[in-house]
Amino acid sequence: MSKTLSYYPGCSSQATGVHLDKSLRAVLGKVGIECREIEDWNCCGASVGHICAGHVPVAALSGRNLAQARAAGPEDVMTPCAACYLNTHATNEAIRDNPGVAADVNEALGAAGKSYDGSLLVRHACEVLVNDVGVAAIQAQVTRPLAGLKVAGWVGCQTVRPFADTERGGKWTTYDDPAFLDDFTRAAGAEPVPFTGKTRCCGGSVAVISPDKTLHLMKDILDEAKAAGAEVISTPCPLCQTNLEMYQPAVNERFGTDFNIPVVFYSQLLAVAMGLDASADAGLDQHLITPEPVLSRAK
Amino acid sequence: MSHVPTPTQTYDLSFARWVYGHVDGGDRLALCMQCGTCSGSCPLGPQMDFGPRKLFMMIRAGLKDQVLGSNTIWNCVSCYNCVVRCPRQVPVKHILQSLATVAVREGYPGARETDNARFAKAFWWSAAKYGRTDERLVTAKFYFSYGLSKGYRKSMANLAIAKGMVKARRMHLGLPHKCKNAGELKLILARAAEIEARHGDAS
Ligand code: SF4
Ligand code: SF4
Repeated sequence: MSKTLSYYPGCSSQATGVHLDKSLRAVLGKVGIECREIEDWNCCGASVGHICAGHVPVAALSGRNLAQARAAGPEDVMTPCAACYLNTHATNEAIRDNPGVAADVNEALGAAGKSYDGSLLVRHACEVLVNDVGVAAIQAQVTRPLAGLKVAGWVGCQTVRPFADTERGGKWTTYDDPAFLDDFTRAAGAEPVPFTGKTRCCGGSVAVISPDKTLHLMKDILDEAKAAGAEVISTPCPLCQTNLEMYQPAVNERFGTDFNIPVVFYSQLLAVAMGLDASADAGLDQHLITPEPVLSRAK
Repeated sequence: MSHVPTPTQTYDLSFARWVYGHVDGGDRLALCMQCGTCSGSCPLGPQMDFGPRKLFMMIRAGLKDQVLGSNTIWNCVSCYNCVVRCPRQVPVKHILQSLATVAVREGYPGARETDNARFAKAFWWSAAKYGRTDERLVTAKFYFSYGLSKGYRKSMANLAIAKGMVKARRMHLGLPHKCKNAGELKLILARAAEIEARHGDAS
């Protein structure tokens, strides 16, 4: 297939989640999706912007991105980041459905001679992969199956909430037991282990602010993955990946455990399974915990 | 003679009604049936002074100071467990975080001092100034909001992580990433802040 979408990479794509952006672009190229990056995009406000600034300024952040995307064309907006998706999607729906919000955002955008009418669709990259590309078409690109790799599929909380019930969302996922991540694992030729904590929360931004409050949440996730025999944990969320990777030493210190489980993105697994380069394309050399079980199968 | 006591105070609903009308998602709060699904689903429940269910009853009971002074509104990690599970579709997360904004605006002692409020301030500074989040600047500003020596200690505690991230090429050492047109964004955000203030004044 061949399709162009507006692409909103989000701030993490330039820093902590650079390996998500890199590997996803590589995979999308393989399956015929062209990403047209939103011109001069800005931060979405993540999970904390509104606490300090209030709702109108945060809506204006997404409003500017959407106005830039719309000016470039009517194609759907796609983002791989849970928080970017949440904010951009929520603002888009509010502009479309709530005349008060539409008026506020457009008044703010007017300060720079911009406007936005709410006519775009905002979508998560995983949803695009499932509904537009299809798992079979993804699998068809796999030339180097990651045979025997045991993967715990951890979706995290925000990716599927609160939009699992959107018109498209309902077709691809559920709130508590989404299947798409395990489908990606199978498509890559690897083996999903039974994992009930698919939508467990890692503590999100509070984990960054005050890790002490959330180390127990990460321990629960690691406990289950280890007990299920997972060699790696796979996730679509840039904050989940960073938190669960960088806080394993802190979890070990607090609870006397000895976790050292690599946490990777689904797109990294797919990229190497599609025969792409483990470093240049998949960014598997950009981890704090080296994903040895993946690398050894990618040779 | 009757032994049944006669209350001297009845529930004052003025605070609850204000919340219903002015807090994001507050319009659905009256539908809360006190089932406790939200509190039972909340990963941070054990760290909260009281869970969302109890907080919502306290709003109805007019306990403004206890509600806006609680740590409940600062411990929400935006996981949306409560939002997707509430049988009455009460947007619990939105209400809690909106109340946090109210607590800051009303100058509640402690509200400005919470770690989340400090972090939110540092985060917004980066987003508004550069149009992008630079995690190095945000964390530095957040740490040093506690003062020089505590900020230094917090930074040192995270040095190992920062070094690892630099080595993994997930934290860069140069100038902050920014929007090319940060000036345009500034104009938009200034106008948005005026609108926000206008709404605040009307409440
Ligand atoms: S889950 Fe909903 S109805 Fe139940 S206590 Fe919480 S807010 Fe109220
Ligand atoms: S969104 Fe906030 S209040 Fe709701 S369950 Fe998650 S942490 Fe608790």
